[in-house]
Amino acid sequence: MTENQQPPRKPDDELRVNFFRPRPGFMRKEVRLIWAMLAGWGICTFGFQFLLVVMQRNEAGESALTDASFFGFPFHYWFSGQSLILWFILLCLVFNLAIDRLNEQYRKRK
Amino acid sequence: MVAEGFKLSPVLLLLAVLAGSMLVGLASRSHKGGYYLVSGRSIGPLGIGAAIASNWMSAASFLGIAGVFYLHGYFALAYVIGWTGGYVLLLILMAGQIRRFGKYTAPEFVEARYDSTVARVLSAVITILISLIYCVAQYKGIGLVFAWMFGFDYTRSLLLGTAVAISYLVVSGTLGAARNQQLHYAILIVCFIVPLMAVAGKLGYFWAIPQLGYGEALHDLAGDTGGSYTFPWTYATPYQWTALCFTLMVGTAGLPHVLSRFYTVPNVRDARWSVVWGIFFIGLLYWSAPAYAVFARIWEGGGPVADPQAARAVADIIVIKAAEWAGVPTWLTGIVAVGAIIAAFSTVTGLLITGAGAFSYDIYYRLINPRASERQRMRMAKGATLVLALLVVFVAVEPPGMIAEITAVAFALAGNTLFPVFLLGIWWDRTNKYGAIAGMLTGLGLTVASLLPGEAFPLLAPTSSALIGAPLVTLVMIIVSLFTPPPPESIRKFLVEKVHAP
Repeated sequence: MTENQQPPRKPDDELRVNFFRPRPGFMRKEVRLIWAMLAGWGICTFGFQFLLVVMQRNEAGESALTDASFFGFPFHYWFSGQSLILWFILLCLVFNLAIDRLNEQYRKRK
Repeated sequence: MVAEGFKLSPVLLLLAVLAGSMLVGLASRSHKGGYYLVSGRSIGPLGIGAAIASNWMSAASFLGIAGVFYLHGYFALAYVIGWTGGYVLLLILMAGQIRRFGKYTAPEFVEARYDSTVARVLSAVITILISLIYCVAQYKGIGLVFAWMFGFDYTRSLLLGTAVAISYLVVSGTLGAARNQQLHYAILIVCFIVPLMAVAGKLGYFWAIPQLGYGEALHDLAGDTGGSYTFPWTYATPYQWTALCFTLMVGTAGLPHVLSRFYTVPNVRDARWSVVWGIFFIGLLYWSAPAYAVFARIWEGGGPVADPQAARAVADIIVIKAAEWAGVPTWLTGIVAVGAIIAAFSTVTGLLITGAGAFSYDIYYRLINPRASERQRMRMAKGATLVLALLVVFVAVEPPGMIAEITAVAFALAGNTLFPVFLLGIWWDRTNKYGAIAGMLTGLGLTVASLLPGEAFPLLAPTSSALIGAPLVTLVMIIVSLFTPPPPESIRKFLVEKVHAP
């Protein structure tokens, strides 16, 4: 593995692709957007299950969220079984719109 | 398992649909040499979205999910959410970059990114294993539905179904029939929803949009069971729910035959936008699947399951049973049965071709006979298809679990191995081949460990091992990469200038 020794300049910054240390500019904005999407994805999916646990009155998970009725469904069931899929579609939609804009911005600049 | 005599109209319907799709395929046959089904006319995000959905829908979606709902209520939502939410991960973390990478299969990506034949072969072996496990679940579905249609016992139905599936694959392969995926999706979704409307109507519930209207039935059922059917943790702990859901999500984003859809899209923007439509089309089925199970429970009187053994036996064809029990005419019930078979057939075809391709191009050509001609490789691929198909039969004779559960194991394997390899490969330039190889081996080991009998690793369920596995493998890859030399500069340059370009 000698062929991959770095030239004198600091290649680590030139060639850096790192999700946790994105280079300024396009990639940093893209990563920021991804974090926002990941938060929306994680909080609604797993956060809601956590909320169910926090609010539960018994082992089976009975709570105000399971008592409430929404669109004819027990609320928690409606939320997980129906609204989350819609939420996923919405997340993807927003992500695509934002990335389209970002791409346009940076392609013009080049 | 279920044998109640021969049913003529569903069998005729199946023959008609198979012949029909073959004819359409022949009529729209494109250029020659289509052994790898990667046709790509410009059809826009909507059409690609339908292709994503038709590629995705298997016996697990068609039969499996409703089966788990029938037995486990709210727990089954982990499948629904896992198998849709995974596409969000796929889109935001990988879809565009994978498209820009410009490779056609998972092993090709691995070699291009990690510059290592060992890593490529390892990823090919994993691809084959995933295909095999996934296929076992499909075969179980085919066997059960054929048993319902023909009235044979399960084993004989399985053999008959396999024979039909392989002859269909061979005939359409030799005739060069293209598969119209948009048509395929349309057939599947109609096959699923129309009988559901009939069931809802027969049982006296809102039938026009049954997937939104089965709430009333759910309330009735909750009342009959003292709520236990709908309560969140009746059948599984929050940890089990979360682990399963997370595993299915990362598995979705690491599944070779799902990923390969994105290489073949004409441009990056279409690749991204097609995911939106893809989730919507998949969602149409997933919004509806629980309704079948709920209606079946209602018909049974709503109380707790009387005989768990019997319930488990019918769970995987509860979609068909629900229609039959509700008194829907046999031909209409047959529609959903035919849909299930079509879904399973096309998935099996895709998986066997992916697996055989991995064997012939990534293992045979790379490792065994580097001078093999195109013809030899093709012959190898065809031979491997048959061998894989037969291997699957052996396991499927005694299916180790429910359809959705077996499928989930394939997702766990993908989530423990290919997902981290793709994720770090795209998002960290420093990841090298040693890291990738160590990661894949760790993931493979973890998945095998989760399958060991007994409670050796209580937190690693076979269906749900990636909640622990995926982060652990990622960590292993990072550590090993840091202790070994960085990857060649050319690869890092490619990553920055091509893959991550705006």
